[in-house]
Amino acid sequence: MAERNAALIGLDPTSGPLPAGGGRDRPAPRPKSLDGAVIGLVANGLGQAEAFLARLYEELAEGTAGALAVLKGSVSIPPEPEDWARLTSEATVAITGFGG
Amino acid sequence: MTDIAEGSPLHAECHTYDDYSALLEDYYARGWTDGLPIVPPTPAAVESFLGFAGLEPSTVLGAVPTREVAVTAEHAAINAVMAGCRVDYFPVVVAAVRAHLQDKANCHSTTGTLSGAAQIVIVNGPIRQEIDLNCRAGCFGPGWRANATIGRALRLVIRNVCRAVPNFLDRATFSTPARYAFCFGENEEDSPWVPLHVERGFRAEESTVTVHSAMTVLSAEEMVARTPEGILDTICTVTRRKGTAGDQWLGDGTNLVMVIGQEHMRWLTAAGWSKADIRSYLWPRLTEAPRPGERTVKLGHPEGLLIVAAGGPGMAETWLFFPHLAWAITEAVLPPATPGG
Repeated sequence: MAERNAALIGLDPTSGPLPAGGGRDRPAPRPKSLDGAVIGLVANGLGQAEAFLARLYEELAEGTAGALAVLKGSVSIPPEPEDWARLTSEATVAITGFGG
Repeated sequence: MTDIAEGSPLHAECHTYDDYSALLEDYYARGWTDGLPIVPPTPAAVESFLGFAGLEPSTVLGAVPTREVAVTAEHAAINAVMAGCRVDYFPVVVAAVRAHLQDKANCHSTTGTLSGAAQIVIVNGPIRQEIDLNCRAGCFGPGWRANATIGRALRLVIRNVCRAVPNFLDRATFSTPARYAFCFGENEEDSPWVPLHVERGFRAEESTVTVHSAMTVLSAEEMVARTPEGILDTICTVTRRKGTAGDQWLGDGTNLVMVIGQEHMRWLTAAGWSKADIRSYLWPRLTEAPRPGERTVKLGHPEGLLIVAAGGPGMAETWLFFPHLAWAITEAVLPPATPGG
């Protein structure tokens, strides 16, 4: 890129930089163990999402402190604020997935 | 080097370059394009777009609350310049952005979805002819600057401002080339039907943009039938095979857009059928309980079927734009601040 006396000026077309990491997924650090953890299960409401997450929990259940199931009120929009509040206050980790 | 342009009303950061090639490579490197070259969004060009539309740079056209993004007129102008728009296209781009950012247009879902839904821009009214927007043969494809750049401008806003960057907030499995640009007009001149925007409550002399987020596009070919019933039964069969989505939040407002080509329109109008007649025939047939191999068509009311006349002669077909999780929203194209630019 050239200095200020260069010939052409272009404007930034964005609403700001994307998060560090080039926009790639940045999952939270994995816990070393699920012992005693409450597992949030966030179903998007499509297809067999609830059944899939329930079955997945069966595989993980041993040693955990239980599951917290959240079913979105609509497939069209994110979870409601109260659902986020439940997840962040009561769940240790959360799993979500596409259920189509 | 970044800075704010001295004495400019604009807010965006400026970047300076030796030449166009350096600018283009930097915009590619920063992820600010759709993969195609862009027109440099210089302060002078952006200010001319805003001046033409009579918009202040900070005017908010809409927002995506889940992404904590507000889209301003300046954002839209920068991306419209980049897309290659002419200055007199900008009011159409503004209307498209406003439509797409309405609550029930559901930008968050339709631009983030695994299904890769495309935003389809349908233009009605006198502006189509003023800017040479193609409504006839080839109107879904390349070759017309207005079609190509207006559709592209909306998509660049979605990418650059609404942050629907592939593999970031855009999670499409395959995505679609329709996401580069998809804009066409209704062929009001060759159609005896009430135009889409008039059916949706606007005056015929107004210009409008309807933005529809389509999850799937299918062609209903019917080359043999010469009766309205024969043509519409085929359209019904194709629609019921695919079905449409919907849910509680969207309620009764989802839409299926049917773009009826000239050959089908010819037979329908020869038999004296209006858009209302088409709707009356299709509605009970589309919405009855699905049979094996069919899916539910979740539309709340017959007006959810949006019928548009477009395309050229030859293939006897109607294109069906199946909705993603959103309503099709129609917004007025506001006249320029200074008529004639």
